[in-house]
Amino acid sequence: MNATIEIQNLRKRYGTTVAVDGLSFTVAPGKVTGFVGPNGAGKSTTMRMILGLDAPDEGSALVGGQAYQRLRCPLRQVGALLDAAAFHPGRRARDHLLWIAQSNGIPRRRVNEVLDLVGLASAARRRAGGFSLGMRQRLGIAGALLGDPPVLMFDEPVNGLDPEGIRWIRGLLRSLAAEGRAVLVSSHLMGELEGSADHLVVIGRGRLIVDTSVRDLLAAASGDRVVLRTSKRSEAMTVLANAGATVAATERGEATVSGLPAERVVALLTEHGVPFSEVAAHRASLEEAYMELTRDAVEFAASTGGEA
Amino acid sequence: MATTTADRHVDRHAGWDGRDSFGRLVLAEWTKLRSVPRWAMAMLAAVVLTVLVSVLTASGSGYGAGGPGPPIGPDGGGVTDEFYFVHQPLTGDGGVTAKVLSQTGVEGESHEWAKAGVIIKESTEPGSQYAAMMITPGHGVRLQSNFTTDRAGSEAATTPRWLRLTRSGTSVTGYESADGANWTQVGTVELPSLPRRVEVGLFVASPFAIKVERQFGSGTVGASPTSSTARFSDVVVTAAQPGQPAPWSDQAIGGSDRVPESLLGSATQAGGVFTVTGSGDIAPNPQDVDGVRQSLTGVSIGVMVIIAVAVLFITSEYRRGMIRTTFAASPRRGRVLAAKAIVVGATSFVVGLVASFASVLLALPILRANGLAPPAFQVPSLSDGPVLRAIAGTAAVLALFAVVGLAAGAILRRSPGAIIVVVVPLLIPQLIAGALPLAAARWLMLATPAAGFSIQQTVEQRYDFVSSICLPEDGCFTTGPWVGFGVLCAYTAVALAAGFWLLRRRDA
Repeated sequence: MNATIEIQNLRKRYGTTVAVDGLSFTVAPGKVTGFVGPNGAGKSTTMRMILGLDAPDEGSALVGGQAYQRLRCPLRQVGALLDAAAFHPGRRARDHLLWIAQSNGIPRRRVNEVLDLVGLASAARRRAGGFSLGMRQRLGIAGALLGDPPVLMFDEPVNGLDPEGIRWIRGLLRSLAAEGRAVLVSSHLMGELEGSADHLVVIGRGRLIVDTSVRDLLAAASGDRVVLRTSKRSEAMTVLANAGATVAATERGEATVSGLPAERVVALLTEHGVPFSEVAAHRASLEEAYMELTRDAVEFAASTGGEA
Repeated sequence: MATTTADRHVDRHAGWDGRDSFGRLVLAEWTKLRSVPRWAMAMLAAVVLTVLVSVLTASGSGYGAGGPGPPIGPDGGGVTDEFYFVHQPLTGDGGVTAKVLSQTGVEGESHEWAKAGVIIKESTEPGSQYAAMMITPGHGVRLQSNFTTDRAGSEAATTPRWLRLTRSGTSVTGYESADGANWTQVGTVELPSLPRRVEVGLFVASPFAIKVERQFGSGTVGASPTSSTARFSDVVVTAAQPGQPAPWSDQAIGGSDRVPESLLGSATQAGGVFTVTGSGDIAPNPQDVDGVRQSLTGVSIGVMVIIAVAVLFITSEYRRGMIRTTFAASPRRGRVLAAKAIVVGATSFVVGLVASFASVLLALPILRANGLAPPAFQVPSLSDGPVLRAIAGTAAVLALFAVVGLAAGAILRRSPGAIIVVVVPLLIPQLIAGALPLAAARWLMLATPAAGFSIQQTVEQRYDFVSSICLPEDGCFTTGPWVGFGVLCAYTAVALAAGFWLLRRRDA
């Protein structure tokens, strides 16, 4: 099976609310694709339509080139974590995974394998209702991994996890992608995807805002700025401004310089005897890049809203 | 990359079941049902509660032990055999003819099934074989024999009316005539072990008037004896072997303690006209207490528990969003509902079978000890067909209610609403039937899902030529065990179809 998700012009309306509005994107194999947008942007709705749970009003969502409803052992093609609380609290973790396995002809031994994989082996016989939020996430992830599927989707998998858990999820996502699987991970916080996503699909109000690789996005957001750290900030700012740069004071003892490459900044400061502890090319965080993007998106929405 | 992915899957998934089988869905649903301890406990509680309530109800019952019980008819069932008989012996073939001049009730009120006519009877012993031609105020001319056979002649029995019975071997043929010249044959009946010597003559009977007063929550049933008087002329007994004409004798047959002495009847003869007054009936006397049904009273509690579990079996998935996991695992939702219905239905059937079998096993001896015993009552054996039907049928009714509950849960997606929607139609008819007119109450009991419980009837011989007490609120269904069961099946099918339709159509 071809490990992809292809979304074509997907549209879904609930009453008068348009949840997903003409969305198109592709999730490629071998990568972690971050699916980002504020709460209510339409991420979960899109995922439900991919799984055939909600019927799109228009457009299509194909998994490996097929509509989900046509898959005969769907969990062996697509594994999904939608809601970490989606189990009966009275059921043992192992029984919860067992019925899922049975429904798709997955052997019983695979249940133990995934319990090991997510670190719940020792809790297999415990009732899921007594699990911490982190354990619930792990149980949900175990359910997604049961069918060893080439396509995986996780809706907000980091929610409620402790730092150790977050690190574990990142490692898991990376290793799943490294095995050649297509991995789609949604989050409303771009920062959560830092260090795990290779590709980003950002949506707002059900529409695509950007579909880009993380590397390109960061390069664009970083621009040619240089971060300067010095104990004599005002002197440094004067020197650099006189050399034609735009200088902005940021935090205490820090300034951002635009219009001059880092080597030139170092040369100028050294020439004028201004001490500094660090001069570095600015590297934007995903969070910053995201804020910039969504700001643009709001403006975009405002300007097109007037026309419509 | 795609190639290596495919290869890896082939290797690692060797031995995984790739067949698209419905069986694995059933297995998955069974795992779901058995792995929630609360549901297993509830199913166990359904058994315990059913048996407990059945036993307690049986312990609190009383059936006025003693009494001789009704006479037993030729086919082994209890019968009523009370009438006034003017008779003489007849040996061998022959017949009796009479002209009924009039038939009147007391103070102008006649029972619709008052009987007056000619009869050939094995002996004067109650319960013995007979064939009779008669007129009735409400049902025209009838030929009846051996209590359970009834054949209609003319629809309106205007008097005077000529009636005739002829015996040939074991066959008795009935005729009627308006003028004594043109005779119409009504029918021939076989009385297989009729002795050579029988009693023939005139008879008059008038059954008890049954009056049912129904008020909210309670009904009183009163039965009062009635009597009827008929005048006969042109009474002729013919015999194939001529002999001495025998003298007439007359007596009240059966004269049970139910009929006061003043109503036992009399006969006088003056100038060839016989005036005969009588009370009672010649009819089957079906038992109106159904011991098996009485020993299954606890099922009405057990069914509530089972409905609750069946509803939760699907609404708990909606409540926690697990239904999405279910439908993602098997996108064909109709099959999911079918698998759930099979699992919860089969489980409820087994639970119901254990509960109803244990109830009958434990409660029936208690009922017997409390007076539901021979000779006044016939006590069924556990191996009787109707008893087994009642036990297995009760289990089937529980299974059907479970499926209805499941379907309601699928339709409404919320536990309280679904439980109410199933339980209320089950309770309401029982509560209000007593306050409704009999016809409305019968219709209500038969038109609601509770009609399914009619399968518990083991006493089902009701005759349209006998006025019997059959109160729907007591669980008496005039339509027999199967019609009501069919009604419940229809409800189940409709609920499932609605569930299928909505599941496929709605977003999960």
